[in-house]
Amino acid sequence: MQRLLGRLAWVLVSALGALCLGGIAIHRGEPINSIWLVLAGACTFLVGYRFYAGFIAAKVLCLDDRRATPAERLRDGHDFEPTNKWILFGHHFAAIAGPGPLVGPTLAAQFGYLPGTLWIILGAVICGAVQDFVVLFCSMRRNGKSLGQMAREELGRTGGVVAMIAVLAIMVILLAVVALVVVNALKDSPWGAFTIAATMPIAVLMGLMLRYWRPGKVLEVSLVGFVLVVAGVFGGQWVSRSAQFAPWFTFGALTLAACIVVYGFVASALPVWLLLAPRDYLSTFVKLGVVMLLAVGILAVRPQLQMAPLTRFIDGTGPIFAGKIFPFCFITIACGAISGFHSLISSGTSPKMIARESHALPVGYGSMLLEGFVALMAMIAACVLEPGVFFAVNSPAGIVGASPQAAVATITAWGFPVTADQMAHLARHVGEQTLFARTGGAPSLALGMAHIFARGVGGDAILGFWYHFAIMFEALFILTILDAGTRVGRFMLQDLLGHVYAPFHRIGWMPGVILASAAMVLAWGYFLFQGVQDPLGGINSLWPLFGIANQLLATIALCLCTTILIKLHRARYMGITLVPLAWLVAATFAASWQKIFSAVPRIGFLAQASQLQARLDAGLVVAAKIGETRTLIFNARLDAVMCGLFLVMSAVVLADSIRLWAGILAGSRDARTSEAPFVLSQWNAEEI
Amino acid sequence: MRRLFAFVLCLLREIGDENAYRRHLAAHGLAHSAEHWRSFFDAKARARYQRAKCC
Repeated sequence: MQRLLGRLAWVLVSALGALCLGGIAIHRGEPINSIWLVLAGACTFLVGYRFYAGFIAAKVLCLDDRRATPAERLRDGHDFEPTNKWILFGHHFAAIAGPGPLVGPTLAAQFGYLPGTLWIILGAVICGAVQDFVVLFCSMRRNGKSLGQMAREELGRTGGVVAMIAVLAIMVILLAVVALVVVNALKDSPWGAFTIAATMPIAVLMGLMLRYWRPGKVLEVSLVGFVLVVAGVFGGQWVSRSAQFAPWFTFGALTLAACIVVYGFVASALPVWLLLAPRDYLSTFVKLGVVMLLAVGILAVRPQLQMAPLTRFIDGTGPIFAGKIFPFCFITIACGAISGFHSLISSGTSPKMIARESHALPVGYGSMLLEGFVALMAMIAACVLEPGVFFAVNSPAGIVGASPQAAVATITAWGFPVTADQMAHLARHVGEQTLFARTGGAPSLALGMAHIFARGVGGDAILGFWYHFAIMFEALFILTILDAGTRVGRFMLQDLLGHVYAPFHRIGWMPGVILASAAMVLAWGYFLFQGVQDPLGGINSLWPLFGIANQLLATIALCLCTTILIKLHRARYMGITLVPLAWLVAATFAASWQKIFSAVPRIGFLAQASQLQARLDAGLVVAAKIGETRTLIFNARLDAVMCGLFLVMSAVVLADSIRLWAGILAGSRDARTSEAPFVLSQWNAEEI
Repeated sequence: MRRLFAFVLCLLREIGDENAYRRHLAAHGLAHSAEHWRSFFDAKARARYQRAKCC
């Protein structure tokens, strides 16, 4: 009877999911309630987890709880430590959740809510969660080895080298693009700039407390930090209203970019305990808290989506980024559906902490589904804004015009009515001077979140507080990624340079620290300045580059997973990783090709460079702009080269893997894997 | 409700490395001190910040 009831419950969940998915797919005309998206996502994720992931765990990976995990065999109290599965689930989720699932869906909302929503829901179940789960399994069976190590051992030297170059290249682009998001969120915003500036002395104070006054009391110190940061948000409001102090914190985009570059250099060279680590703790707690708050807010408020399911920009003429739904929707939303970066986390700390093999299912697959849910919430937050407001905030001045009147006229002519008064009123309400051309996704996401929060608590009276709270939340963990990423890049560079000059190998060697930090900061700083100076807002060129690079890493991870499945004699199930791989290859290759060779200047880097060169040659550029135009031409060609590099690296790994698979299946290649031998677990179920 | 609170607290302690620190003390038979925290934290941070943070 109980079994029958269970089956009936799953039939109902499946039917509800299908109804909601069908509902959002065929709904046209009236605004739709966000609860449809929430239910479609929740039901699909539940069914995917119960049946698809269950099938992969039981039939494909054959998870075996009798087998001792690395946490049991290699237990050392540090890295290798068996951990409760739900604690590890939270830990893993906190590690994979970055700004990507928030910013990507916000940008992709220019196509309407439908393409992005379907990609998030189906992509997470079929692609992203499978990748995370299988990589976690592979690493767990190999004593917690990293993706690079596994790629070298299973795919050969080429795979390992490409994985390492890909990680470094992705980090440079990632750091530039997230820094650009922060610059665009804080430019001409004394409230935001003060709040973010205040987080730095607060983090230093936390670092000193944790080091000397309250050692080991991370939660207590983080609570103090949180209270001070919230006080900083209120302080920012006071500063923005002060005729004396507001100008001190009002910065243009170029100044902010310079500040962030200097900050990145200093933070990378400072001791970790002083700034990076305390803010990392704080940003992780704030991130989890805000994600929960947003989920509760959406469920409590159930806002209507103002955005259409499909907008006119599916034809590729979108103002935020150019290009059609395929392939650009699928590289713009990376982290909410599938992200190559997750494979680094799944082969990092988590496999060393899994107590039983079956725990890989909730940790690897379940965490990614939750990340998909975060992306879905970001999509909802972006789509609750009136479309006219959404496009006014996210469209660069180079597309819609520099003056408010020109911008609203262009956006209204597209069929998204908005007025200059409406925008001015909204900007006053949230304590900003203007909300036009705040590209990058963060401001519009913060506006959407503020609308949801304000309807739950405080109403329009505290819309400004919620807006700046959301900006603080986004900037806080973006800056943490910036510090940590620069530091990691510094270590990788020091490691590489150590082959040329041995002292670089010493992590604490000061000339090495300074040189490698400077090189890393200059690399991402160059792309940041490129984005700031780009008349199309920077996001148009940098975000697709980041998406392509990220999906390249996912391609390597999925090639590795497929190889291991074949080596484990589970070739008949290799479709579970081949399908996402084929989709990613199609999307990434098509996007890379179009970004390099499209004849449309807003899409193709080479066409953009040619167009600018032609204007220069024809003498159509005024003398004062000649230098800037030459820089833009160089930047477009550089972006084309980067894109080409990513394309070639993906092709090399893919070709190498296919050759290997064919060889193994034909019996001409060695099918040995580096899996650790079976050791019987000594634990009883109740011990975990 | 109490179990949920205990779970959340345990999760926060895990994320904040407080649990890992306790395990470290237990594994090495040490008592908490500022010096032990600093050496534990430095080793942990050295390993953590050599890995990329997720996007």
